[in-house]
Amino acid sequence: MSTEEPGGVSAEEIVFDGVSKFYGEVLGVNRVSLRIPPGISSLVGPNGSGKTTLMNLMMGLIHPDRGTITVRGLSSRDPEKLMQISGYATQYDAAPRGATGFEFVNTGLLLGGRSKAEAEELAWKALELVDLTDAGHRKIAAYSKGMRQRVRLAQATANDPDVLVLDEPLNGLDPLVRAETIAVFQKLAARGRHVVISSHVLHEVDVISDRVILIANGNIIAEGDVRGVRDEIHEHPRQYLVRCPDASRVASMLFEQDHITQIQIHEDQLGLLVMTRNHMEFARALSRISLAGHTVESVMAADENVDALYKYLIGGGE
Amino acid sequence: MSAAARLRQAWMIAAMQLRRVFFARRSLWVYVLALFPTIAFLGHGIEVVLTRDSFSDQITAPAAIARVREGDTPEQVLERAGEPITDRTTPARTLRNGRERPERRRMMYFDGRSRWYLNFTSGELTSKDSRLLIDFADDRQVFAGIFQYFYLRLAIFFGCLGIFMNLFRGEMLDQTLHFWFLVPARRDVLLLGKYLAGLIASLVIFTAGAALCFLVMLWPQESAELATFWPDPGLSHLFWYCAAAALACVGYGSVFLAAGLLLRNPVIPAIVMLFWEGINPLLPAALQKLSVLYYVQALTPVPAPMDSGAPLLIQLLMSPAAPPSPAGAVLGLLALTAVVLWVAGYAVRRLEINYSTD
Repeated sequence: MSTEEPGGVSAEEIVFDGVSKFYGEVLGVNRVSLRIPPGISSLVGPNGSGKTTLMNLMMGLIHPDRGTITVRGLSSRDPEKLMQISGYATQYDAAPRGATGFEFVNTGLLLGGRSKAEAEELAWKALELVDLTDAGHRKIAAYSKGMRQRVRLAQATANDPDVLVLDEPLNGLDPLVRAETIAVFQKLAARGRHVVISSHVLHEVDVISDRVILIANGNIIAEGDVRGVRDEIHEHPRQYLVRCPDASRVASMLFEQDHITQIQIHEDQLGLLVMTRNHMEFARALSRISLAGHTVESVMAADENVDALYKYLIGGGE
Repeated sequence: MSAAARLRQAWMIAAMQLRRVFFARRSLWVYVLALFPTIAFLGHGIEVVLTRDSFSDQITAPAAIARVREGDTPEQVLERAGEPITDRTTPARTLRNGRERPERRRMMYFDGRSRWYLNFTSGELTSKDSRLLIDFADDRQVFAGIFQYFYLRLAIFFGCLGIFMNLFRGEMLDQTLHFWFLVPARRDVLLLGKYLAGLIASLVIFTAGAALCFLVMLWPQESAELATFWPDPGLSHLFWYCAAAALACVGYGSVFLAAGLLLRNPVIPAIVMLFWEGINPLLPAALQKLSVLYYVQALTPVPAPMDSGAPLLIQLLMSPAAPPSPAGAVLGLLALTAVVLWVAGYAVRRLEINYSTD
């Protein structure tokens, strides 16, 4: 349940209301209206689609030419309040020249009003999370690419933010830190926080996201949970993987249905890839086949994932 | 957040920036500018002290030199004044045009304060010139000239340009400004913190530079002269020179901080400001008040020396028409600075970070 205030401002959501942003003649984002609830939301789109623009707008690094943005009820133009509840790991090295990893993380905490001892404790905890404790007192300039990515992550998460915005956060992380980082995102999301991620790694987005926002050429193409978005795409038949011992027979029975557009039998003759224009009818047909004595071991949606959505709505995909 | 908390934030930002401002490699030339007059006066002082030391065992009593008169022969001079420190003779010779040039001789004595040059022609003393080894009044004039024409107009001007333009523009070039825009602080608090950092650095560098130069100028002076100058009015002069340098940093700092937010190229504000400050004395009184130099010049205790033969335009450009009182100058400059910082605050609130348009 969202606590909505007059004018569409929500104390629990990130709200874009008719937001447009131009860089001179170049369109950044166009008339974006979005309400992002707590949880993990992924911004998905090709390079130059406007993902970083949306994130920068959210965090007040750039300002909309039209429309308004509120982040949990706070204006994106008020960094004093906004950054008390937010953390933003950009794609770029943000550390001032000569800063150590520890100083980089600690500075924001001190400026946020934490005591020295408290800030230090939180900074070390954040560095520990990304496995940078030993390198904390080394200058960031001497860090590898992966370490820089991790220290940005530490800085963004150190304040235990309500809103965590991460631009390609998993790039350059080794599998262990990657898994730990994802666990942190999930933990934050489970506690009702916002985690907004942009990523090119679609299968990763698929695994961790509660909802996706597909963006192309500065326009929001679709948004919502993956299944919900998939339901809205009617021009592409839905795909299901069906595991059954007598695949050929089941295939011929399914082909009698009008809504089935294509069936491929798996090489092992134990499975089918079925394409249907009506998933409800398909479910009923499978029930009938099953009642007729044919074994159906499992049914799995083959295109209820971000990669498929990307392919259908934007084109390409992984 | 309370005003006190915001001030604490500004101070923390300033403290974090200080290292960058003081020790940035790209700011090393600022130290050179600040110390250049000191080095010049130090060279002059060392020369005076070394000369005084080398002449110390050959001092001739002023009375003995006074007894020497035009028309004396070299032998008479040697008898009255003793052996000179230097004695050079140019023999007689025939010039190209066929004229004869008589033998010339020059003796140099030192009476403890002045060098005396005794010039002989054809074996007869024809002139007696003296030059003070060090002229305090002259040195003070030179200091006033260097302070106004070099230190205020060039050293502090370009030093502040280097320090304050870099506070935002430098971070934009390094692509690190978004670090500061993502801390939980208002943009104007960030501006204040950065301004404080630049101000502290420029105050330390240029006020200390002015004070050091002034003290180095005093160092080789005659103790008798110094006794009449220090502490009164010397201390007051030192104070006002330092105050003028400090206020120049306050004023130019705010202007270049704002320029760093509004413009990409530092050359443009430098040229515009130099031109504006240069022609300011020719402008109507109301416009003159929009100049840092107008206020700062009014604080200097000794007017800058001006060659009476200099063109009228140059004389006009070097002196404000109706300088304000010291209190008026301080208040006027602070008001001007406040207005410029307000404009900078507006600019920083609107400033956007955009390294990419992905």
